[in-house]
Amino acid sequence: MIKIDAEGAQGAALAREFKAAPFGPYSADLQKLLQLLRWGHVRGRTVIVCTKPYVEWRLGRMGPKRGMPVEVSESEIFLDFGEANWACFRARWQEVTDKPCPVD
Amino acid sequence: MNQRILGYADRLSAAPGDSVAFKVSAPHTGKFDARLVRLICGDDSPQGPGFKADQITSAIDGSYPARRQEILAGSYVWVTARQPFELANFTLQAMIWPTLPGNGQAQSILGNFDAAQETGYALFLDAEGCLAFRAGANAPVSTGVKLLPRHWYEIFAIFDAGTGRVTVGHNAMLAYHGQQSAVAVTEMLPEPVGEGGRFLIAAWNDAKRATAHFNGKIDAPRVSSRALQPSQVARLRQLPLDLELAQFVVAAWDFSRGVSTVKVTDVSGNRHHGRTINLPTRAMTGWNWDASEFHWQKKTQHYGAIHFHDDDLYDCGWRTDFTLTVPDNMKSGVYCAHVTQQAPDGSTIEDYIPFFVRPPRGTATAPLALLIPTASYLAYANQQMVSSWWFDELSSCKFATLSEVDRYLEENEGFGMSVYDEHNDGSGVCYSSHLRPILNMRPKTDLWQFNADTHLTDWLEKKGIPYDVITDDDLHEEGVECLRPYRCVMTGTHPEYYSKTMLDALQTFTQGGGRLMYMGANGFYWRIAYHAGLPGVIEHRRAEDGMRAWFSEAGEYYMSFTGELSGLWVRNGRPPNTLVGNAFAAQGFINSVPYHRTPESRDPRVAFMFEGLEKDEVIGDFGTVGGGAAGWEIDRADLRLGTPPHALMVATATDFPDSYHWVNEEMNHTHSAVNGDTCPRVRCDMMFFETPNGGAVFSTGSISYAGSLAHDGYDNNVSRLTENVVKRFIDPASF
Repeated sequence: MIKIDAEGAQGAALAREFKAAPFGPYSADLQKLLQLLRWGHVRGRTVIVCTKPYVEWRLGRMGPKRGMPVEVSESEIFLDFGEANWACFRARWQEVTDKPCPVD
Repeated sequence: MNQRILGYADRLSAAPGDSVAFKVSAPHTGKFDARLVRLICGDDSPQGPGFKADQITSAIDGSYPARRQEILAGSYVWVTARQPFELANFTLQAMIWPTLPGNGQAQSILGNFDAAQETGYALFLDAEGCLAFRAGANAPVSTGVKLLPRHWYEIFAIFDAGTGRVTVGHNAMLAYHGQQSAVAVTEMLPEPVGEGGRFLIAAWNDAKRATAHFNGKIDAPRVSSRALQPSQVARLRQLPLDLELAQFVVAAWDFSRGVSTVKVTDVSGNRHHGRTINLPTRAMTGWNWDASEFHWQKKTQHYGAIHFHDDDLYDCGWRTDFTLTVPDNMKSGVYCAHVTQQAPDGSTIEDYIPFFVRPPRGTATAPLALLIPTASYLAYANQQMVSSWWFDELSSCKFATLSEVDRYLEENEGFGMSVYDEHNDGSGVCYSSHLRPILNMRPKTDLWQFNADTHLTDWLEKKGIPYDVITDDDLHEEGVECLRPYRCVMTGTHPEYYSKTMLDALQTFTQGGGRLMYMGANGFYWRIAYHAGLPGVIEHRRAEDGMRAWFSEAGEYYMSFTGELSGLWVRNGRPPNTLVGNAFAAQGFINSVPYHRTPESRDPRVAFMFEGLEKDEVIGDFGTVGGGAAGWEIDRADLRLGTPPHALMVATATDFPDSYHWVNEEMNHTHSAVNGDTCPRVRCDMMFFETPNGGAVFSTGSISYAGSLAHDGYDNNVSRLTENVVKRFIDPASF
């Protein structure tokens, strides 16, 4: 199984590819990377929360089980869905690799 | 239900003269307002046609006293006879298959314990998942051994009033090396037990409420009027009861009886019958199921289990706030009771409670009927896939994005779920009802099912095409008689769930000269059942194959409501291709693509369809659902799967990216060529064919299709093509 190149040039290139086109089409290597970032239940991991329909998104995190508040980030508000996806990508990178995403 | 006004109607379909009762929970004190609207379009997205609703003056217009109405989720059995369980000595026993032992909550198995009064007794799992017994104000007696999830155990509590001693124990049905199979502890109970409350199975009382819901299966519960020996307990597992011990048995419930009902039968002869509350799942394999039979009706003794869940919900049972008697002159259509309330901060909260008005039964006011897929609306009702599906992001190829509805349902438990979800214990949801607020069956929500279907009503209204509205509920109730008044029936965008009666009716209609416009995809896919006696609820099992949200357990493919095999219609010998010429091929939710005309589109038989379109015109390279007319879920023609040999594939879309995934029921073996970029079967085929007696079928094979109708002021080739088809299909001239 492949490993994410969390600190190398190849990983950074794929991150830049996602940032440039968050809704694809993706290269085969980026698709594999995304599958690794998306594998498994999302509970407890960073997700996107729509806070104003069609207009505003933030990052958030569901609680450990149903019936608990969704933790919604107050620090960043996204008025573009693609930017919210890029922020989620970076957060997942950190969660999965335990390294910060090399692309800001 | 913080700060949200919510409601539901007691029926989804109503004809003139019928009464529709609306039940509302309003969060703020004072009043709430209600008015009636006829919904034209629920799509309020910036790129969509916009929200459109006509206010209709009606008898429900006005203000009403506001009140909060609660939802009490969680299933259990209520044993209506109470007195005989006030026994000096007793033995409680059952076979159980716990699914959430140690979830931090008490989970009662059986007894009459009332937590509010601390009276009565109960055999239960404690917060750590150990079998325990509690009685009166005495401290619980626990075995201290946590049970394994999804394993069968025999459990018991033996109480001797003379000595004040209770023995609590379990016997594991599957032995593991190094683990103790038989566990028992004995302790004294110094305090009196007290009278207790109702005798319940899978919950206990908290005054008038049922709480401490059990998660898992219970089979063969028994109550005996003497303190048996632990070694005697096993002799009462089976029916008929052990002859020597039967004289002491006060109640022996056989859950394999009345599987299709809410009745619970005591076979001890003492008539301590009961009823289920909130529809726990029946027709479940019991402790003794050995795979010798897979149909619960053929070996009932192996299906003595009921699976209870703390989040089961059938009917909220709210009180009625206002009732509409549908006036004789009320135009058929999609309607909502629009309820609003002023919040203390001056903002207005609202809810739209939908229902569908049909013309008087047996009549039509137009040659065209829009068949509202209410069964499919129920299948998706309050879906929480984002939390239920571990593979949600891999399937959608997106990071999870919680909508306002998703977030509300995540934060506020108790609204019941959809057949796409797993219960809290990870088992699949088999039942879904409309007797509860359904937050995603509303305008101004995601463009899926109900709200996406308003693209069709919007287009019909814009084009001035007269139409009636009928529903799946009507189709199931009346069969083909429901369709006979119409020349043409138009489906919704995703008519996925069908009962046999419904499917037979459509097939009979098209074979008898009727015309069918299939305006979506992944239709006629899953087999469901309606309940014969309980209103407003469907059942489904995720049997052997298909794009499954979860897997039915082995031996649990047959529905409890009817005994029919559930699962895919194609695995029931009824491929959708025979009805509409194509069938579910793939899904993807990043983007949609256009159709391209095929040489078959030049066939004179379909000349009417392409009037006003160029010979090689690309069809639908626009739209509000993914930016194209072909997408989201798509269907493909295949002669081997039942597409009629004379059917014309008039257009096809093939430019799907790798985010589109081929359906697994067509896959013999997992392999690497399963996505849109490499799998030639990831395709969307637009179909036409004539049927016997002058009928015809038109199939778009795409969920996205309706989202293209309004493009460019409704002046576009998808709209034109659709209008051509409608005009020809309502023309009485035979095909």
